[in-house]
Order: sequence, then structure tokens, then C-alpha cells
Amino acid sequence: MKTKFNGLLTLLLVLMVQVTFAQKKTVTGTVTDASGPLPGVTVLIKGTNTGTQTDFDGNYSISVKEGDILKFSYIGMNTTEKIVGTSNQINVTMNESAQALEEVVVTALGIKREKREVTYQTQKVSDESLTVVAPTRAASALAGKVAGLQINVQDNGVNPSSQIILRGLRSVSGSNSALIVIDGSVSTQGAFDDLNPLDIANISVLKGATAAALYGSNAGNGALIVTTKKGSFGGKLKVGINTSYTAETVAYLPKFQSEYGTGWEGAYDAVENTNWGPRFDGTLRQIGPTFPADYGLATQMVPYAPVKNNMLDFFETGDTFNNTVYLSGSNEDSSFYVSVGDQRSDGIVPDDTYKRNTFRVNASKKIGDVTLTASTSFFNDETDVVGGSIGDQDRPLYWFILNTATNIPLTDYKDWQNPLGYGYADNYFNAYYQNPYWAIGTNRNTDETSRFVGNFNISWDIKEWLNFTARIAANNAWGNGKNWRAAQEYNADLQPAAGAVSSFVTDSEFQSAIYNGDFLFSGNFEFEDDFTLKSILGGNVYQSKYRTSSIRANNLSIPDFYDISNGTGTPATNADGNEKRSFGFFADLTFGYKNYLFLNLAGRNDWTSTLASDSNSYFYPSVGVSFVFTDAIEALQNNDILNYGKLTYSNSTVYSDLDPYRINESYFQSGGFPYGSINGFELGGTSIDANIAKEKINTNEIGLNLGFFNSRVSLDASYFNTVTSDLITFTTPSVASASTRFLTNIGELEGNGIELSLSGTVLKSEDFSWDLNINYTSSETKVNSIKEGLDEIAVTTTGQYGVYAVVGEAFPQIKANVYQRDPQGRIIVDGTSGHPLTEETLQNMGKTTPDYILGFNSVVNYKGFTLSGTLDYRTGHVYYEQGSDAMEFTGRSIASVSANRQDFVIPNSVIETSPGVYSENTNVQVAGGRQNYWTDVYNDVKSNYVKDATALKLREIALSYSLPKDVLDKIKLTKVTFGLIGRNLFTKLPEENRFSDPEFNNTNSNAIGIGGYFQSPPTKSFGFNVNVEF
Amino acid sequence: MKNIIKYANLLIVVLLLASCEDFLDVNVDPNNPTVVTPELVLPVAQKYSANLIQATDGGGRRANTIGNMLMYNWSQSDGFAWYPDEFKYNVTSSFYTGIFSNSYTQSLKQYQILTQLDEKFDNYKAIGMIMKAYHFQLLVDFYGDVPYTEALLRKENATPVYDDAAFIYEDLVVQLSAAIEVINNAPSSAVVPGTDDIMFGGDMTEWIKFANTVKLRIGVRSSNSAVISEAFAQSEGFITSDVLVNPGYSKDAGKQNPFWNLYGADESETLTLTSKATCATDFVITYLQNTADARIDYLYEKPATGHLGVVQGLLDYDTPVVDAYIPENVSNIGPGLLKSETMGACIFTLAESYFNQAEAVLSQGGDAQSLYESGIEASFDYLGASGASGYYAQPVANVSWANSSNKLEAIITQKWIATNGITAEQSWFDYNRTGYPSNLPVSSQASTSDRPVRLYYPASELSSNGGNVPSQPDAFTAKIFWAN
Repeated sequence: MKTKFNGLLTLLLVLMVQVTFAQKKTVTGTVTDASGPLPGVTVLIKGTNTGTQTDFDGNYSISVKEGDILKFSYIGMNTTEKIVGTSNQINVTMNESAQALEEVVVTALGIKREKREVTYQTQKVSDESLTVVAPTRAASALAGKVAGLQINVQDNGVNPSSQIILRGLRSVSGSNSALIVIDGSVSTQGAFDDLNPLDIANISVLKGATAAALYGSNAGNGALIVTTKKGSFGGKLKVGINTSYTAETVAYLPKFQSEYGTGWEGAYDAVENTNWGPRFDGTLRQIGPTFPADYGLATQMVPYAPVKNNMLDFFETGDTFNNTVYLSGSNEDSSFYVSVGDQRSDGIVPDDTYKRNTFRVNASKKIGDVTLTASTSFFNDETDVVGGSIGDQDRPLYWFILNTATNIPLTDYKDWQNPLGYGYADNYFNAYYQNPYWAIGTNRNTDETSRFVGNFNISWDIKEWLNFTARIAANNAWGNGKNWRAAQEYNADLQPAAGAVSSFVTDSEFQSAIYNGDFLFSGNFEFEDDFTLKSILGGNVYQSKYRTSSIRANNLSIPDFYDISNGTGTPATNADGNEKRSFGFFADLTFGYKNYLFLNLAGRNDWTSTLASDSNSYFYPSVGVSFVFTDAIEALQNNDILNYGKLTYSNSTVYSDLDPYRINESYFQSGGFPYGSINGFELGGTSIDANIAKEKINTNEIGLNLGFFNSRVSLDASYFNTVTSDLITFTTPSVASASTRFLTNIGELEGNGIELSLSGTVLKSEDFSWDLNINYTSSETKVNSIKEGLDEIAVTTTGQYGVYAVVGEAFPQIKANVYQRDPQGRIIVDGTSGHPLTEETLQNMGKTTPDYILGFNSVVNYKGFTLSGTLDYRTGHVYYEQGSDAMEFTGRSIASVSANRQDFVIPNSVIETSPGVYSENTNVQVAGGRQNYWTDVYNDVKSNYVKDATALKLREIALSYSLPKDVLDKIKLTKVTFGLIGRNLFTKLPEENRFSDPEFNNTNSNAIGIGGYFQSPPTKSFGFNVNVEF
Repeated sequence: MKNIIKYANLLIVVLLLASCEDFLDVNVDPNNPTVVTPELVLPVAQKYSANLIQATDGGGRRANTIGNMLMYNWSQSDGFAWYPDEFKYNVTSSFYTGIFSNSYTQSLKQYQILTQLDEKFDNYKAIGMIMKAYHFQLLVDFYGDVPYTEALLRKENATPVYDDAAFIYEDLVVQLSAAIEVINNAPSSAVVPGTDDIMFGGDMTEWIKFANTVKLRIGVRSSNSAVISEAFAQSEGFITSDVLVNPGYSKDAGKQNPFWNLYGADESETLTLTSKATCATDFVITYLQNTADARIDYLYEKPATGHLGVVQGLLDYDTPVVDAYIPENVSNIGPGLLKSETMGACIFTLAESYFNQAEAVLSQGGDAQSLYESGIEASFDYLGASGASGYYAQPVANVSWANSSNKLEAIITQKWIATNGITAEQSWFDYNRTGYPSNLPVSSQASTSDRPVRLYYPASELSSNGGNVPSQPDAFTAKIFWAN
């Protein structure tokens, strides 16, 4: 490779001296477009590499000789040519390119390319499309808008998190999340989530590894290239205010039975959390403990009948106020964009609050041939939500709400501090789980996080055709949190079964610092015989450091005082951190022929700190071809129907390295230690392959881009195949090997998929237009092999169900224990107990990523009105309803009333009378149909909780109105827009999914498909948005 | 110009490459060491041994609990659904799997490190060998064939073969003898453990006695007279006190005695839910009352209304009397077992050692009366009860030696009482071998006429070691080899 680099350098140098001299005169002029002067237009003498660029006012000046042809080119505009005559002034008006395929693509490293040159598939999301419903996180606004992109919004809290996956999964144990690049530098999803969505100019989605390969080992999962607003050109100062308000409410709750109430084994019990009581009869019954006559509070009596919406009414309407003020402007050599954003939210859970402030200053200054650009942002948020380990069983809040029977008027218990109220700890009806209002008041989790992102860029146009760019980016985040719980003791006469709650306070802090430096030379060459070359040579240095620590004190001495000093006993402490570094060099060459055929060759070599020093270097190449056949084939030119057609092929190989400190087995301080002066260290549970190495991802991609009817309709189609081999994987060895995980390189995953994106203007007249975009993504990742003798890997498992990688099956796969069935599929039951028999080994239940995702985006304009909407449909996958599983015990499930709480014969069941011989079971009833069958037998068959994850979601809908220009002129404003906005207003789930949003997930890892227990219920929001610009 | 670019480019490359060696040298984990000394390995191993018998720090049920459930010592009070699988004898591949996995991934993992040390650490090595034998016997007693010769090799063997249970038993005897040899032949320069040995404080003679005591347990359980004779020939003899593990348990979160932490109170002195949920069975209360056994008030907490046990597996708690069996009214686990949060965790009772010697002597035709009575006295002592001699002087079968027509039944029955709530799994093994104590009821929720005789291999073995794990033997009929 070294020789290859040298060769390229020589080529560069040879081209640099190729300068011609002739008799000259100076021509000046101004280049404009419809909106005014156009800076940055390349002015070239045709057939040479001599040229200049227009300044910030669109002016240029160039030495030419008569008869030369001046070629004016600007990305996104039609190239214009003018012959130099006698005049010394040539003014040019450029027209926007009619062809959508001429649009600018921001590719890896922030390099702009015309779309025709790009040999892989990308899709751009504009700022209008991102902010149509005033989202608080940009990620959630991407759902349904890009083919190949799957956004999983994992919970609906005040500070939600989401998972961003491009083209399915490629790794069993490694990250599958897309790389985030902000203003040209590799960043983090945290920094992306912390962006004010209004500050984003656009997001370019590089779907495959090829597109992102120049980013190095992080690029295997594709990339989101985020560009923030840089300031409008045109000299005028723009001041804008964007205000939105949204109200958030519970979208839907789990569907439960409403026939039976509090009780146990069929008998009414006034203090039960469970619903195993008798059938509702409407009679007035005691609920909660019996109070003594002189207690001052009468024993509570409520009708034994369902209370409508008793859980729903617990949740409040959440409010989000979002205000952003922004300024932007420019003069001939500088531009700036400044914004201040403020978000204040109250969640659907009472007292949950979230505040965040964002500040951004982007500025650029041109000094001669050098342009300096800085984009900086500061972010700060404060979260105050109910704690996550409530009560003596350390449960989440939702658990306490779910453990309230239908006949309990839950909202009557708000008054938890009043010793003579039913909400007071001693008086609360539920002997086992505390009052959720009490939980909110006595368990808090508070957190404050800040982030500074600074991105400094220097760009030097050494020659018209040669540019040097250097960039340094810092992404620093830090924060601290306090989590506390108050103690609660009980009057044993009133609450004999209640477990007293101990108090604690935890203080934690973290710091994260990521530094990223790039430099690159880019040179563009035009040869006389129709050949062009665009080249990039560059390097990158990366460093990330993370540190976290926490301290927890238990059993506080002074009530309501939450400081570590208030704890008794030894506080528990923890500190952890890691550091990673890497550097790399890269080259990228794009050869063009007649502007319709392009060949791209690129390569990068990385060195990483996380692999053994003898194997920490790796080179990865990529190759791509782009062919604009409508320009190449004469018969297709000037075709009114198919006006544009491009075919691309690309192949790349990318490697992923390890996380820090993974190459050596290590010890850790064992739980509980030190005991006084006795310390103890334990060998880690993970054993590590002595030859652990990098993971290889190879991607092939074929793409087709078509433009019809003068690009009024466009179709982008792609097929990809990705093979990941030498997977860096945690396999599960036999526990008898004394390790619980084994880190090794094994196996192969193969992903195949198709993406289609059809965009077009359905109708267009003077006042009316309707634009429609349909995205279709179908992809599946299969496990080709693991290793000899091992045909599955558990990503996470309880032993009864889990997420697995299974050879020959789609990944991730849910496995669960199932009923034993006879060859006809009938359930085999025990001939005595009537209970179904279960299979000893877990069975494949289905994959957790969809067969396909269909996204609809529609924008209708009528005069000043705009109606836009995004709909997203996913199907063909399953998820594990963890909440239903956990709630079976309480007798609230619909299944538990399916046999009217009687012993019953399992329908369509058989009894094995002799080996292999099955006779229909007509009379052996299950024992314990009243309760124990459901809690102990049915609940043990975990396949009962694997449900169809299909979902149709109206993710976004907005109706806005912009004042027309004549009105604006009168009131001296440049823009006034009012909008009504709605998010997730409609969701359609299959009948069998009774619990929650299948998109919810417990972790941001590859254990996709288990959720619904820790997350509050799904929400929808509705509000308005006002945008005014001066 | 071209030269400037060229040189600038080269300069950057050279600078980066020159410093890359150092630049990338940041892959040393600042939070986790890669090398530690034996003094830090041993106490972790021993603490885990105690966890395996009593409970995990997180409250996971282990050997003692399953023993108490299967041997009808414990039941459940009203208001709880705490032990559904135990009461149904629902032996599956997810039932008490921690006994299998924690043996290998916690204690044995650490002991294995000790057995690989050089002669400077011969004493640590011997302790590792002795404790490995202790744990592998338990594994055989719970599961039969288990990974042994190829176990604990970590990355070198992710799928160890299962070895024959009887073969393992034989080899454990060899290993115990070898461990005693290592101690006796350790060079004078060999490091002797100190307070880091949280069982015997580095007293290597005690370790020889313990090795010999484990050897006798193996000999008696497998009715191997040669092993029994070998144990009796060891001049150091057997243990002389209960074998307790105590790293320095304290009234702090995560640092309490694990039995106390699960069945007693948390560090803020709040009774745990499990302490309320767990109580005596009707049968054991009646048995202890009928034999005028003073240990009853130590094994079980006496409610104000008198001792009350609950039929194991009871479903309807409110008939005929509502709230009859709420925690306040029933005999929960008693003060002789729940001494304090700082008490040592027992992994081998002195009483059992005496009863094992008694059975050994009996099997060889000797007079085992004094050993039998020493066993009862050791049991009274452990619990803090008094009046042992008066107790075993009562003319009652299986109480007094003289009045017991079946001496073996007397020994095993007394061992059942002596291990109640301490190492009750031993009593279950003895039951499977001898059928004593007689007339012990089965859970009312059981669908079988008798209790299980073994555990199932965990589901994790089926998925991760499927080529080696035997097909699950019948939990109710496939007895461990020594019970046949």
C-alpha cells in the first residue's frame, strides 16, 4: 500500500506543475441565482485547471484570453458556459438544476459531491421534514422517512432514548447502531440526541458500509451525517422565534380483564394486590385494613365493581414548551448562526419534569483563500423523575400501578402524607405494594447533564482545484445525579404483611471526552480528453475517555436529608472508566469519464489501541462504480419520460475492533468485599480467546436511481448483501468451564435487503401541490454459521426465554419454552393433572426485526396551508411481552378469565397413552383453574408471551399555515407560520398484543425484542407550533 | 508550494507514526488488575462456598433451602406465594440451577486458581484441593455425573465432558489424600494463610482434619469401607467444631451473613419478606413436641399463641379460620438458626461429622452410642439449646440410642434434626440413600408419592454443552449411584 500512496503523491505533483501561460486579460463579473448573488461558484477556463471562485458577493475576477470558454459550475445548479469575447465583464445568472439527481450529497468527511458521482445509496432528510412536528429529539423524527433506516423509540419518558439501525444487524455482540457524524467529525448518539432539532440544516443518511468506509472501524453500520445551520447568505440579518407547545397523554394501556377483583384463590381479600377474588357483584365491600373504632378514619368501603379508567386517570397530561430564538446573517466574507433553545416538560407521571437548554454559535470567516469555520454548541439538561427501585422489592413505578385491581379507585389515594387519609402508608389498601403516589413523593431520581461540542474547521483553497482541510472536534459531556429513597415503616397491626422500606441516597457523576482530528487534501482534476479525477488524501486521530463514579449510603439517620454523610454503615462505592485511541490514513479517488461514468477507489488503514500490538493495524478497501446511463446512451437522452437513470455498484470491507481492555482477562473486587481488612478479588466471568482479533464486514450494494417526467417522480432502489465474519462474539460456554462468557471470533452473519424509495409530486398547480414519498425496506440478517458443535448464542436469556443467534435462522431470534405437541399440533397434557407438558429445550419463536418497514410521507400544499404526515408500518416480527409475563401472577390477564376461573379441559389437547400414541383429551381438567394453573403452569410457558410486533403508527401529522408575502410585507415580517402538530396520534396493533408498544425495549443492546415492563405506557402528543422571522 | 505540501504531509505522517507506539499504549484497564495474590483469591472462594450452602448475597436460594423444602422442615405462611416450585416438586432445568452454575463459576473457579500455584503457596494449593473435593462431592450428590476432569479449564475447554459420578467419588478421595500430603510436605518457606483464610485462620492442622472429615462423608455416603478405614487411620482425626465461614460479616448492605440476610432482616433491621413467608411445617412441629425436643424453640420462633406449623403446599389458608396462618401466628425460622447478621455461615456441622462417624462405626460393627450422643450434643450446642443429655435419655425410639431398634434410622433421623436450617441438603441425600426419617410427609401439592431424588441439569448446559450433557434422568427415580 505504501507504494500505492507514493504513486498517488507523484501523480498529484505532476498535475500540480501542469500550468499553462498565454497572453491574458482580466475579466470580472457577478454570478447570481434567483435569490441573489451566489458565492463559491467555480469559474474555470474550460479544458484547463485554471480558475477561481466567486466571493461572498458573487463577484469574480479571472485572467483569460479571448476565445477561452469560461465554465461556471456550482453544485445543484446547471453548469453554464460563456465564451470570452471583447468585453471585460461577464455576468451570469445560474439556474437550479432541474434534475433531482444533481442534488448535493454530503458524503463521508463532509465532502460534497454531486449525486451522479456517488457510487452508493444515500438519502437526505431536510430540516423542514425533521421539524414538522416540533420533536424534542431529531432521531424520533427520522422514523419512516428513510428507506433502510429503523428508528426504535425505546421508551416514552421525558428524556426518551432511541436506537438507530441502518440495514438491520451485522454483529451479534458488537454495536449495530449507526455512526453519527456532526459537522464532519465522528460524534456520538448522545451528542445527536442533545442537538436542538431546529439547529439541524439536514441529515444525509449513508446507508451502507461503503459510504462510510472512510470513517474507519466505526463505519460498518452506516452513518448519519448531520450538518448544522451555518448562517444564511445574502447580507440580511434574520431573527426568528420558534415556539411550540405539545400536550402528551397516554395513548393506550394494557388490556386487562374486568370481571374479577381483589382476592386470592377465589376468595375476596381486602388487602390483596392480586385479582383472584370472586366475580364482581357490585356490592359494597371493605378494602384495605380494618381500622380501630377510635382511629379517626373509617374502614374504607368501595363497590366491588370495575372502576372505569382507574389506571389511566393516574397518569397526567404532560406538557412540553419549546422555545428557540435564532439569529443568522452574513456579509461578504463571514456568516453566522446563533440559537438559544429552551425546553420544559412535565411528564405523564405526576411530578416528572425535564428541562433543557441548548446554545449554538456557528460562524465562518473567509480570509483570502482560507475559510475558518467554527460550530459550537452547549447543552444542559435537568431531569427529575420518580426513582426506579421503589419499595422493599425495588420495583419500577409502573409495577405499583399495574398491581392495583380494577375495583380500586386509584386516584383516591393522592393524599399520601395525611395520616388520616386512605393514601397514607399504614392505611393504604394494598398490603404488598405501596401507594404509587407515595412512591412519587418518596423516591426521586435527579440528574443534570451538560455537553460542549466544539468543531473547528480550516479550509484552504490552495489552488482552484486543490483544497486542504483540517478539522478538530471536541465532544465533552459531564453530569451528576442523585437518586434517593425515603424509609417507610409500618404499623404492624394495620399492615402485617408490608415489608418496611429502607432508605438510601446515591450520588453519581460521569465525564466523557472525545477528541477527533482530521486533515485532508482534496484535488479535482479535469483532463482534456473527457477524464476527471477527484482525489482525497487524509488522516484521522481519535481519542475517547470515559469515567464514572458513584457512592451510595444506606439507612439514612435524618429523614428527608439526602447526603452521603447521612448514611449508616459503610457506603458502597464504584469507579470505572476507559480510554480508546486510534489513528488512520485514507485515500479516495473518483475517476470520471464524460460526466456519466465514475469509478471510485478508496482505502483506509487504521491502527487501534484496543487490539494486541502485533495485530492492531488493518487496511480496508472499497470500490464503486456509478453509471448515468441516460447520459451515456444516446437513445435515452432528452427522453421526456425517463429523464435520468443511474446505476451503481459498490463493494467494501470494513473491520470492527474491540472495546477497550478486552484482550486480557482480569480480576475484579468481589461483591461484598472488603469486609473490614479482608479484601478479595475474583477472576472475571469472561474468558478471552488468546487470538482475539477484528471483525470483518463485507458489503456489496447495487443501486438504481431513476428520474421521470423531468424528475417530478424519482425512484431509488437498492439491493445489498452484507457478510460479517470472524464475529467478535461472547459465546456462552458450559458454566462448568468456570466462565460464563467466552469472547472469541466465530461465525458468520449474512444480511440481505432491498430498499425502495419512491418520491414524486402527485399533483401540482399554481395553488396546490401534493408530494408523496414512500419508503420500503425489507431486510433480514441470517446466522450462517457459528462454529462446529455450537448452533446458537444467547444474547440474553433467563433460561425460559431469551434473545438468541441461531444458525440458519434470522437474527435476533426469540426463543422460549413451548407446549409439547403431538404430530397434529395438539397440546399434550399430563393424564393425571391435565396440565400441559412443556418441551425441555427452548424453541425458535421468530425474529425481532421486521420483515419490512413501509414509510409514507405526504405533504399537501394549498396556498399557504401545508398538511404533512408520516405513517410507518412494520410487520413480520415478534416481541416478548415482559409486562404480561410479570402480571400473570396478579390474575389481571385476559387469559386468566378465559375459562371462567374454573378447572377446564385444555381445548384440542391430547394424552399420550403409550409412546407415540395420542388420544384426544375430553375429560381430564387442569387442576387449579381458579388460580394456580395460571400462576404456576400457564405462566411457566413463556411462549404464551411472545406476540406479533406488527404496528401501524401515524408518527407525525401537522397542519400549518404561512402568511402570504403581501401580508408579511405589510407587517414587516419575513415569515409567519402557525401549525397544529400531532405525534403518534394513532397506533394500530394486532389483537393479540395486549400490553404495550412493541418498539419499547429494555436495553439499547442487541437484545432487541424484550420490553413492556420497565417503561411507562406509550404516549401520544398534540400541540401547536409558531414560527416568526423578522 | 508543492514542496511545502509534500513536506507538511510527510511531517504529519512521520510525527504520527513516530509517536504511535506510545499513543496507542492505553489498553491497560485502570479498574481491574490482571494479576492478584492468593491472599485475595482465597477469601472470595470461601465466601462463595458459604453462599452456595446458605444463600447468595442477593437472596438466591441454595442448598440449605432446597434441603429444608424437600425434607419437610419448612413451609409458607399466609399471604405469600413464595415457594410454588418447591411445593410442587417442580424439578425442571430451571429449578435451583444456581447450585450447579455457582459451584463452577464462583467457588470452584477461585479454588482452581489456588491449585495451580507453585510450591511457595503449597498451603493455598492444598486448601484449593480440599475445597474442590468438598464442592465436587456436593455436585455429585445433587446431579450424579458432572463435568470434573475437563471442568474449570475456561477458554481451553468450553464444553467439558461429564464424568461418571462413582469415578469422581473415587478421585476425590485420592485428591483429599494428596492435599494432606501437600500440607505435610510443604517447604518451610511456604506461605501460611492468615486472616485471609476465613474458615480456619491458616491453621493447617484444622485443614487436615477437615479434609479427613470430607473424606469420611464420601466414604459413608458411598458405603466404602476402605475409605472409611482410611479416614479413621488419619492421626489428626476429624473436625472438632462447626465449620464456619466468616469474612467479617457486618450489618451493612451486601455484607451480612447470607442466611440472615435472606431469612432474617436487612441491614436496617427490617424483617425480610422471606422471613415472614417462611415457617415450620405441621409435621416437624409435632415431631419435635412429641419428642420433648428443646431445640424446637431454637429452630423455630415461638409465636405468642404457641408453635404452629403449616401443611406444606397449603392452598386455602383461611379455612376453617381466617388469618390463622398469617406470619404473626406461625412458627417462623428460629433464633438458634438466626443468631445475628455477623454470625459465621456454616458449611459443615460438627453434629454431622459425629453422625457420619457413628454410621461408619456402626457399619463396621462397632458401638456408636457415644458418637451418636456427641452428635446430638453438638446440635444442641450449635443452636444454643440446653438439656441434650436429658433429651436423649428419654426412652423414645430415634431419640435414645438404647430405645432405638434401628440404629441407622436413629442416626439419620437425628441428622435430619441437626441439619435442619443449617445444611439440610445433607439430610435429603441421606433420605434418598436410607429412606429415613420414616413417615416424612410429602408436600400436599406434590403429584408424586415421594420426593425427588436429584436435580435436573440446568437449561444452560443443554444449550451450551449439549453434546456432553446426559439426557435428563428422571428426577424421582434415577437415584445417584450411592443410593442404589
